[in-house]
Amino acid sequence: MSVQLAVFLENRPGKLEAITKALAEAGVNIRGISMASEGEFGVLKILADDPEKAFRVLKEHHYTVSRRTVEIALIDDRPGGLHDLLAALSARDINIEDCYGIALEEGRRAAIVLDVEAFPEAEAVLKQRGVRLLGDRELGTI
Amino acid sequence: MYWEQSLETMERRELERHQLRLANASLSAARRSPHYAQVLAGFPERGLVSLAGLDELPFTGKAELRAGFPYGFLAVGLEEVVRLHSSSGTTGNPTVVYHTRGDIAEWENLIARCMYSTGVRKKDVFQNMMGYGLFTGGLGFHYGAERLGVLTIPIGPGNSRRQIWFLQHLGTTVIHILPSYALHLAGYFPELGIDPRRDLKLRIAFIGAEPHSEAVRRKIEEIYGIKVYNSYGLSEMCGPGVAFECLLQNGLHLWEDHFYPEIIDPVSGKVLPEGEEGELVLTTLKREAMPLIRYRTGDLTRLLPGPCPCGRTHRRIERIKGRSDDMLIINGVNLFPIQIEKTLMAIPAIGRNYLIEIHKDAYMDRLEVKVEINEEVFRGTLAELEKLQARVVAELRAELGVTPVVRLVEPSSLPVSEGKAKRVYDLRGGGA
Repeated sequence: MSVQLAVFLENRPGKLEAITKALAEAGVNIRGISMASEGEFGVLKILADDPEKAFRVLKEHHYTVSRRTVEIALIDDRPGGLHDLLAALSARDINIEDCYGIALEEGRRAAIVLDVEAFPEAEAVLKQRGVRLLGDRELGTI
Repeated sequence: MYWEQSLETMERRELERHQLRLANASLSAARRSPHYAQVLAGFPERGLVSLAGLDELPFTGKAELRAGFPYGFLAVGLEEVVRLHSSSGTTGNPTVVYHTRGDIAEWENLIARCMYSTGVRKKDVFQNMMGYGLFTGGLGFHYGAERLGVLTIPIGPGNSRRQIWFLQHLGTTVIHILPSYALHLAGYFPELGIDPRRDLKLRIAFIGAEPHSEAVRRKIEEIYGIKVYNSYGLSEMCGPGVAFECLLQNGLHLWEDHFYPEIIDPVSGKVLPEGEEGELVLTTLKREAMPLIRYRTGDLTRLLPGPCPCGRTHRRIERIKGRSDDMLIINGVNLFPIQIEKTLMAIPAIGRNYLIEIHKDAYMDRLEVKVEINEEVFRGTLAELEKLQARVVAELRAELGVTPVVRLVEPSSLPVSEGKAKRVYDLRGGGA
């Protein structure tokens, strides 16, 4: 399991840039980023090499930010790799709230970030199938 | 428990006789000012036989005060005057109010009476976060607290980190603060690692100068872990100290040995029966430099019926509902900003600040409410935000009868003045 930061943002020019600036100045490396938007506002999801530090930095800049637990699963490098993984979850009726892909090792490998409500069940299913899950520390080094 | 027991608990009939004597003296004094010499010329000088007779005299309003600038209302020679205060008007001449040495002494005493009634004692430490200067909030409480004998810190508003440093290191027990600033200041505690309930010695706050809802008072009490008392006043009467809550926090005792209250219909000007809501009209009973007769405060309230269990016989006014001039008319529907505040404060996922804007699209008014989300309860999903937005719209619609546009904004993105918060922006133009 890993920690993802979710930041409330108004959908206006310069809002996103202010966040990346704050993190860059604090020396936080962003490993994955995704934005869910409703039009006027949205939620920015950030995977950082040091989530605790990133959380602190964003709080200091008065952002509304929350920590959410996610699974980051390495995807098998073959056709159907992602499909098998998702099929295993849907077979157990585990709903995915949100997901997005991230590239690793200069694009040689890929992982998918899964935000699920039924968290322990999802982790159990994935482990049982031998899917490799990345923790915060590995995310910082891969 | 009482600062001046005989005055505060004076039997009603005796209090009314006392008021009649003072009202007649005040009328005679007022006639010495150019304004009242003219306005009261047609009324017999022998005085009133009952307080009810006051309703035959004309009102005094802000417009008259402005027209009388600078010295039209002064009832004593300049050599008697020691101070001037001015209210926060933004258009035309300022309204200025003068004080003799005697006026200042009476005012100090009233503030001491107010503070004492909520349990403030000499050993307290009082941090006065109201503005010093022309505004009466700062200096009024300052001298009142000194009169009571409390260590008084004249810090004034703003510089939030320093405020908190003083609160912490001096062991402040009592503060005087704008309600909007109390909420704003609370936003600094998390980053400073301070839990106000645990790390501060604070026990009492006085709030005033802005209309605010009961929900805001309770919110401040909860955040700081203190008792919060409502203070009412206006510079034209003296400043704060006109009416004040006792320990029961159920209406504000209007000090009737200094001011005579009437509640009128703001449109017809007719005096309303006791208990009905209308505009508060006050006649000063002891002011020397600038007595005011039947002054229209613009504040909407009512006189609460029945005696207060605290034993004080001075009647209570209900918390100010709004001003007769801050009513908004949105597509023909009348509403008060305080209704919006009350609704927002009852939704836990909403933060401390909000802003109301009224726009005009083609021929229709659009009420737009900007609200901050409460970061404590934000879980990081888009769905919860959409749900929250819909809930705020629905609850405001139910309260107001108008469907607002609700915008969720980031915390601290709304302007927070450290003076009186301006929360309503009517952008319709053309005096619509």
